[in-house]
Amino acid sequence: MAAEEHSGGIAEHLQYWTYSFQQDLPVDERNPFMQIHIDTMLVSGFVALLILGFSFWLKGRIVEGAPTGAQNAVESLVGFVNDTVRDNFPVHNPVIAPLALTIFVFIFLCNFFDILPAYLLGHVAEGLGAPAFRPVATNDLNLPVAMALTVFAMVLYYEFKLKPVHFVKDLLFQPFANLLLMSKNPVVKLLGVLIIPLNLILKLIEEIAKPLSLSFRLFGNMFAGEVIFLLIASLLLVNNFSDMASMGGTISEIMGLLVGLGWSLFHMFIGLLQAFIFMILTVVYLSIAHQPVEH
Amino acid sequence: MSIDLTLVGQFIVFITMLLLLKKMLYVPLNDAMEARTKKIEDGLAAADAGLEARAKAAADAAAQIDEAKAKAQEILAAADKRAAEVKEEAVQKARLEAESIVEAGKEELAAELNRTQQALREEVADIAILAAERIVGEELDAKKHAKLIDSVVEQGFNAA
Repeated sequence: MAAEEHSGGIAEHLQYWTYSFQQDLPVDERNPFMQIHIDTMLVSGFVALLILGFSFWLKGRIVEGAPTGAQNAVESLVGFVNDTVRDNFPVHNPVIAPLALTIFVFIFLCNFFDILPAYLLGHVAEGLGAPAFRPVATNDLNLPVAMALTVFAMVLYYEFKLKPVHFVKDLLFQPFANLLLMSKNPVVKLLGVLIIPLNLILKLIEEIAKPLSLSFRLFGNMFAGEVIFLLIASLLLVNNFSDMASMGGTISEIMGLLVGLGWSLFHMFIGLLQAFIFMILTVVYLSIAHQPVEH
Repeated sequence: MSIDLTLVGQFIVFITMLLLLKKMLYVPLNDAMEARTKKIEDGLAAADAGLEARAKAAADAAAQIDEAKAKAQEILAAADKRAAEVKEEAVQKARLEAESIVEAGKEELAAELNRTQQALREEVADIAILAAERIVGEELDAKKHAKLIDSVVEQGFNAA
């Protein structure tokens, strides 16, 4: 019974605070795309405003001399991002380092919201009249997909801008057709031409896998982390004071706190790691797009 | 877990944040960092140049000191040589002067000896005349017997 209540609680907690733009239609007939997750937008907007507000505050205090305090900390971060980009990038592109910095900081701060107790913001939001609230914006697939598609669009833009012929040739002739077309045998050559659609499909899958893997990696890690938090809270923490007073309840509560604390620390590390992975893969994908053509 | 209009909203949030963060934070901070790096590099280059200049100045000074020492050695050697020459000249001059003094002394001594001999001779001649007058008992004429007297005196001197 308790497990059923808990599983219901977890399922409820995994709901978004959603607003449909088709309110006049019955729920079953609404287009699922025509809705927006208010909680994701609020949290991501809050994080964005936090970052931009801090940037605005810091901008007026930047000194060319020896940096101190916040400038020192941010310079360390910018220096780290610059080094990462410089190590991986064959040419200088003024957009890449700010993009990497934005991705890293934004994802890390969004992930950081997972440090809040599992049910806290949900209960607060319920108290304020919201149907549900999920505090970690990166748990919403929309955010990682939006960022990954932005990166993917930039990769395509630079591929077409810097080496259009090479990119189209890659799409059509790699990996199989190129070898077959180089053959002197006309039958093999014909096979090479016939295999071009297969190459195109494989290459498109390879290209589309980049934003998919980027977004699903982040989403999957953060979503799983949140589910584990909810499981720890549901299975180990007791529901009321009378349960807590019993021996089993006390032991369960202590274990819940310890396991929750351990998982919190580990999950913060995962959040940092995921932010770094998203950033470094972005730099790598864009770096590949900037690689000069080898003849 | 669905893709919906939140995706569009997240595009807007992300791209807006990217553009504003680049303009408000990354560019000014990076400019400040680059300016500082350049200042530090310039400072280090200036320090290197200063060290190089100092080393060059030290080398120049050492070369000049060596040159001055060599020149001083040359001057000392020349001075020593000149002193030796002056000394030699002085010794030579002193020797010549001494020789001339000795020569003059000898000449004077010889002249004095001659004069003395002459005076003695004359005195001996007078004594001899006086002695002869006593012996022979008559006055001898000095002019008349001069030849005889001189030969006697000469014989006496030679015998002496």
